[in-house]
Amino acid sequence: MSKIDLNNISHSYNSNDPNPIYALNPFSMTWQDGKRYAILGPSGCGKTTMLNIVSGLVRPTAGNILFDDKDVTDLKTESRNIAQVFQFPVIYNTMTVYENLAFPLKCRDFSQNKIDERVKSVADTLNLQSFLNSPARKLTADQKQLISLGRGLVREDVAAVLMDEPLTVIDPDLKFRLRRKLKEINEEFKTTLVYVTHDQNEAMTFADNIIVMSEGEVVQAGSPKELFERPNTTFVGYFIGSPAMNLFDSEIISSNEVNIGSIKIKTNTDLSKVKNKHVKLGIRSEFIDIADKESHNTVKVKINRIEDFGNFKLLTSTLENKIIKSKIDREKPISENEVNLYIPPEKCCVYVDEKLI
Amino acid sequence: MGKLYKFLKYSFITIWTVFVVAPFLWALTTSFKDFNSVNGGATYIPWVDFEPKLEGWKVLIKSPANGGVDIIEPYFNSLFVTCTASLISIVLGTLSAYALSRFTFKAGFVKNNDITFFFISQRIMPPIVLSIPFFLFLGAIDLLDSLIGLIVVYIVLLMPIAVWIMVDFFNKVPREIDETALIDGCNPYQAFFKVVLPNSVPGLIVAGMFCIIFGWIDFFFAFILTFTEVQLLPVKIVALNSSITPWWSLSASALVSVAPLIIVAFIVERYLSKGNLSGAIK
Repeated sequence: MSKIDLNNISHSYNSNDPNPIYALNPFSMTWQDGKRYAILGPSGCGKTTMLNIVSGLVRPTAGNILFDDKDVTDLKTESRNIAQVFQFPVIYNTMTVYENLAFPLKCRDFSQNKIDERVKSVADTLNLQSFLNSPARKLTADQKQLISLGRGLVREDVAAVLMDEPLTVIDPDLKFRLRRKLKEINEEFKTTLVYVTHDQNEAMTFADNIIVMSEGEVVQAGSPKELFERPNTTFVGYFIGSPAMNLFDSEIISSNEVNIGSIKIKTNTDLSKVKNKHVKLGIRSEFIDIADKESHNTVKVKINRIEDFGNFKLLTSTLENKIIKSKIDREKPISENEVNLYIPPEKCCVYVDEKLI
Repeated sequence: MGKLYKFLKYSFITIWTVFVVAPFLWALTTSFKDFNSVNGGATYIPWVDFEPKLEGWKVLIKSPANGGVDIIEPYFNSLFVTCTASLISIVLGTLSAYALSRFTFKAGFVKNNDITFFFISQRIMPPIVLSIPFFLFLGAIDLLDSLIGLIVVYIVLLMPIAVWIMVDFFNKVPREIDETALIDGCNPYQAFFKVVLPNSVPGLIVAGMFCIIFGWIDFFFAFILTFTEVQLLPVKIVALNSSITPWWSLSASALVSVAPLIIVAFIVERYLSKGNLSGAIK
């Protein structure tokens, strides 16, 4: 268990080319000991590259990595004391489940007693006790993935356990339980967990801290609440939350007001220093509510459709030819065609060139 | 439809089996005949059609001084040369195949695929092209007419097969296996020997089978690179022939020379049909 520092890390898979393409643009970050992190982003955004750099499978083109302030950039994977679980189950076909789980300990010359104790404990955690003596290749895909996971968790002293979408092949119910289990393991043993996923729900429910990535760039790192309420960029606003954040092209008209078409909206953001008059206004559908009558910061919208999700109603309506979505308490009465929506100024985010101000 | 399909399937299998087994039956009966029975028309059933004799078999173990041909020494020579050359080819071939599959090589315009092709190209060439160079080469290092010389030549012939099969096999073994082993704390050598190699047993067996077959049946190089000191089985069997074709001893020697390959086939078949060739990642 250790603190992990990534200093100015960047990576290109064709760094010898005159015009290298960067899979990962320079970034710096610190992963605190014992916390849970989720790396979130669409496919091909550099998540796996980042993990492979930490585990040492990939050497970064530039920058360095510190484990507990010790530079490990040039240290080989096998000497880094890190555990990594891949997206698809990787098992040692020729070994039994027990041997699979014991392998990381055997490679590091643990005593037989210690190996026994740890394997039993991990097998208990993952419900693999009854399979310990069967050949690993005979198990089903999700059981195999449990073995991969078990091999990651079997060492207590790892610097961090890196997981690359580890629950993809596991059915939803078990997925839910495993995620909770991982959380418990983290709370009990203070193991640093880094979890790569493209599923925002998975990230939000699992992690203390979420790192959102897009096209090789770390866009925002923060707690689920920060990401939800103050997305750094329109990308984060769009990517996190379901439905995505409502975004409107608008124009600044005073130090705290913008116009969406002809409708004036007040925000709590100080706009006096913004040079570019054309901005985007973002508001989460969760923060929009129905207003009984027109007043300040209400907009009159035409209702397109109402979907009942059971615990809430999703209202899709048109504002100045743009779609605006809002989540409404299901008990609230909604009138037929037109409705007034209240947009709270403190929840409005204003973006210039797709970046939050 | 189902019945017709079944009927056709079993008919085909029956015809094919007869086609494959008939020559063996013919060789088996012929090996127990003598001159008169062979020339007395087609006969198949011993004691009824013809009187079985052991002449054909006895000749094979008698020394030439006693009017025999003695294929025992050539037989063990062949076994020794084939097994040694196959083993060395498999070891070297597997190591090079792993390197070619996992690491990137570049020397000018030569890359991994070019190196793999270089190995395979050794087999594309007609063997006769190599006969004179091999002859001169072995002559120069004084290994003509020796077992060691033949082993060297056979390694050249067999290693491309091993490399070719194993590169293909390792390419199908997911890289994540090696990476996981590294993460679990193996160094690259341990990862190869403890994890990748045990997973590659089916590939090794297939490669080994091909090496043994191609080594065992080679006549050409054994014929031109050995003379009197050392003789291999195929050459010796051909030498059995004379103005009066001894069908009985030729049949007997054909049977004993095929025997090792049949044993290999039985061993390998179990591995091939077990479904062990499926990967570790699913």
